[in-house]
Amino acid sequence: MHVRRSLLVIALAFATLFGAAQAQPQGTPEAEAFRTSFLAGELSWDQVLERAREEGRVVWAHWGGSETLNTWIDTVVKPELAALGITLETSRLTNTRDVVDLILAETAAGRGVGEGSTDAIWINGENFFTLSSQSLNFGSFADLLPNSQYVHFDPANPASGPNLFDFGFPTNKEEMPWSGDQYMCAIDTARLPRAEAPGTFAELETWLRANPGRFTYVRPPHYNGNTFVQTVLYAHNPDGTTYQPFQLSANELGAEEFLRLATPGYEYLQRIEPFLLGGGGADGRRGSPIYPEDQNGLEALFVNGEIDMACQFGMYNTAVAVETGRFAETAENVIFPTTGMIKNKNFIGVPVNAPNPAAAMVLANLLASPDNQISKLGAIGYVLGIDADLLSPEQQAQIDAVAPSLMGVTYDELGAATVPDTNASLVDVIEGTWVEFIERRTGDLAASVAAALANR
Amino acid sequence: MIRQRRRGLGDRDRLGPFGRFYLTVVVGMVLGPFVPLVIGSFAFRWTWPDLLPSRWWWEARATARLPQGWDYVFSPISRVVESTGNTILIAILVTLLCAAISLPAARVLAKERFRGKSFVEFFLLTPLIVPEIAVGLGILVTFIQLGLAGTYWGIILVHLIPTIPYMVRVLTSVFQGLSDDYEEQARVLGASPLRTLWHVTLPMILPGLVAGGLFTFLISSNIFLLTFFIGGGRIETLPTLLFSRVSGGGALDAVAAGVALIVCIPGIVLLVITERFIKEEVFAKGFGG
Repeated sequence: MHVRRSLLVIALAFATLFGAAQAQPQGTPEAEAFRTSFLAGELSWDQVLERAREEGRVVWAHWGGSETLNTWIDTVVKPELAALGITLETSRLTNTRDVVDLILAETAAGRGVGEGSTDAIWINGENFFTLSSQSLNFGSFADLLPNSQYVHFDPANPASGPNLFDFGFPTNKEEMPWSGDQYMCAIDTARLPRAEAPGTFAELETWLRANPGRFTYVRPPHYNGNTFVQTVLYAHNPDGTTYQPFQLSANELGAEEFLRLATPGYEYLQRIEPFLLGGGGADGRRGSPIYPEDQNGLEALFVNGEIDMACQFGMYNTAVAVETGRFAETAENVIFPTTGMIKNKNFIGVPVNAPNPAAAMVLANLLASPDNQISKLGAIGYVLGIDADLLSPEQQAQIDAVAPSLMGVTYDELGAATVPDTNASLVDVIEGTWVEFIERRTGDLAASVAAALANR
Repeated sequence: MIRQRRRGLGDRDRLGPFGRFYLTVVVGMVLGPFVPLVIGSFAFRWTWPDLLPSRWWWEARATARLPQGWDYVFSPISRVVESTGNTILIAILVTLLCAAISLPAARVLAKERFRGKSFVEFFLLTPLIVPEIAVGLGILVTFIQLGLAGTYWGIILVHLIPTIPYMVRVLTSVFQGLSDDYEEQARVLGASPLRTLWHVTLPMILPGLVAGGLFTFLISSNIFLLTFFIGGGRIETLPTLLFSRVSGGGALDAVAAGVALIVCIPGIVLLVITERFIKEEVFAKGFGG
């Protein structure tokens, strides 16, 4: 995938070169008219539904690596859209970056409003940041959807934070919350008893020195890997303010301050490297640590008994994995690290060149309905994207009834450890520094940070 | 492989100890990788260090809330049936188009002499030399501009790139081994060019054409990268479906194992069918050039 990405960048450069004469892509006047009037709030929801029926289809690109999710979409979402006269076509991605690259390539090739290929994307963090920074979002639509009544959008209310900021980057209501997520660590109690499981990074290091090779994390730039590195930086923040300074953007923070805050964290990552899977033990020169490419790779190592603890996003992932046979029956969750487990939301975004924009609005709205949100929680174990406190007492009781098990930890323990995500502009710097300092072993952290900032 | 095995088993009594050992190794290497695939496709929970699944698919089938293993593979949700249909449809159209394009080219290359012929021959082979990834992205950008990205015709067009060189090569050697006399006689006896082609030329080159078609079909149904680029996730074929199941080094779950087994089917079916039509010499001729 990495090869593909860098090549796509080259292709984009070519396309921009040859497409330069076309300047800014011009869309179809009809799609432009809908976009303008909808975003101005001039259309009633019935008018949107009517136009969506005329469009007749909607193309939704989403990460398709989960059978439970694919099944839920085909059995719940598809029939509901069909009842509204809309055919749902899904594009199952292995990596959301692929569709972001496609949209970049399309717009570089001159495909404007209404002329693209994708209507809606399951998106968050860096990918949203990429589209936003290129002004490739459809517009501020989220609070115009009827089901936005179940989402806090008032900037004065602190509960709006996760809806207004995506990895610290303003969503500008250009994406609709669809799911919540929580970083979580699973252990196999058959190999690692709960009492011996580490709770802090210091305990992890002690445990790893005694049991070398029994842990690893996903390789950045995968978001599951970035998140692990972020929690390490939070925990090693020399000021003891954990996540707080990392809420600032890269420009606000500055290179020097970032270097000062991040140095202990990166030094820790360098220190534990020889004790990770394949790291070669105390004499680390004999080995080279194995970092899986994504959550499937990490789970394979965990399931095959090569590592005893696996950290990734997914509050209820362990419960669902045990139920569907992916994990051994002895798998459970632990609170790790107690210094901060990142929680965030992910969204439904709509690209500017969506060929069926009205149907995209209908899809984003339908996915955020309380019924579908609760059904998704029960079927797949994805946390609600809408805000539960805005739901009726009956709906809240339903949530408690269908939520899968937390597998050995409690909501109170989890709530006490939960911290927000890092600013999206810093995520690039954090992953870039990891690649330079840890993967390429440049040996000079200051130079690695400078290189990461320059490559941004 | 199949032919080798069959002959080997038939002549078993005459094989020496080394021959038997060699045969076992070859059969083991061909069939061995399928053993964990087949077991895995029937597993519900198969984790280390169990040699066999601790729970089988049919045991978990009744209690699972969602379709598991083969139930999922055969449900419309998995898109296995849809992808198989796409793969076969694309491969058939690619084979027909490829044959139509390659026949005249191969005939001219085999029968005529003209300036720059060696250049043309080399030019026809370049798709085999230049890696697909190098041209794929340029093609993608052009296809997006032309509106061909994400369409069946777009995929069929790019599949012609790596298949035409094989087809031309096979057919050129067939034409080279073919005397002009029969065609001339037919024409002397008053047959029109079309009739000559239909009643004389085609029957004579048919085994070569079938061999070339078989290669084209197999190559087309196995192309991943170009299909992935041009299909853009909107048109799934068996290779792209398998890739999305196994990329990232994930565990081989029951569904991935099932899909991997299904992916082998078109090739095996085709081999079995064509083996009845094709004599070994045609393959030899096709490769011998």
